[in-house]
Amino acid sequence: MTDKRVWKWVLGAWLLLVIWAAFFYAPAAKGFKGESARIVFFHVPQAWVAVLAFCVNLIASIRFMRGHDPLDDARAATAARLGLVFSVLATVTGSLFARVMWGSFWNWDPREVSIAILLLIYAAYFALREAIPDEERRASLSAAYAVLAFVTMPFLVFVVPRIYWSLHPDTIINARGALDMESRMFQVLMGSLVGFTGLFFWLYTLDVRLARVKLARQRREEV
Amino acid sequence: MPASESLVWVAAVTIVIWAGVFVYCLGLDRRVRSLEDGE
Repeated sequence: MTDKRVWKWVLGAWLLLVIWAAFFYAPAAKGFKGESARIVFFHVPQAWVAVLAFCVNLIASIRFMRGHDPLDDARAATAARLGLVFSVLATVTGSLFARVMWGSFWNWDPREVSIAILLLIYAAYFALREAIPDEERRASLSAAYAVLAFVTMPFLVFVVPRIYWSLHPDTIINARGALDMESRMFQVLMGSLVGFTGLFFWLYTLDVRLARVKLARQRREEV
Repeated sequence: MPASESLVWVAAVTIVIWAGVFVYCLGLDRRVRSLEDGE
């Protein structure tokens, strides 16, 4: 087994360690029903990876607009797809937490509404891609749309939920700029953030490699 | 869902998500390597 192949098993072991630590090392959070707060170890990293993916989508889209490399378009599409998947996962885990804490899966909380709008915005990115058959035109318009979509992201994720009153617990670094979290919980959260980030880059790299193979094949067929 | 059951819910959802994504990655990794080897 080469070095390259070892790291994915290291990541797998790390993920198992994080799951174990989330349930057996970190203490139960005060002020929450039952064990529901443990979902923070997965919900927050999923939301973080979604934001990271949308940042990668923006960078790849700008790179495409500058160089018109089809691989940059593939990079942008991959990042947006992963951002969408992780946004859905963050929504699902958030809804489970909401059911336990507030009695309903959906409460029209500003944070729930803003993530739903963000999901629609990035779902429209794929609707746009599907609607344009010409590859060059599709890539150009998608890149422009991605830049516009990204502008809305900081407002929907960071600004809107902080302006309105929300059921959502304080963020990790709260409005007072303080970190109100027990140290073992914080360690597990950081471990989970590292694990999820690793998982994102693994998925992203695999998808980009797949796109590269498909593009090479397509070019050969065109010649 | 009663609070006493919440740990089971959280654990089940977490493990399904982690395991699902990891197994998907392993499968995709194998597929990409075979395609790259075929090039």
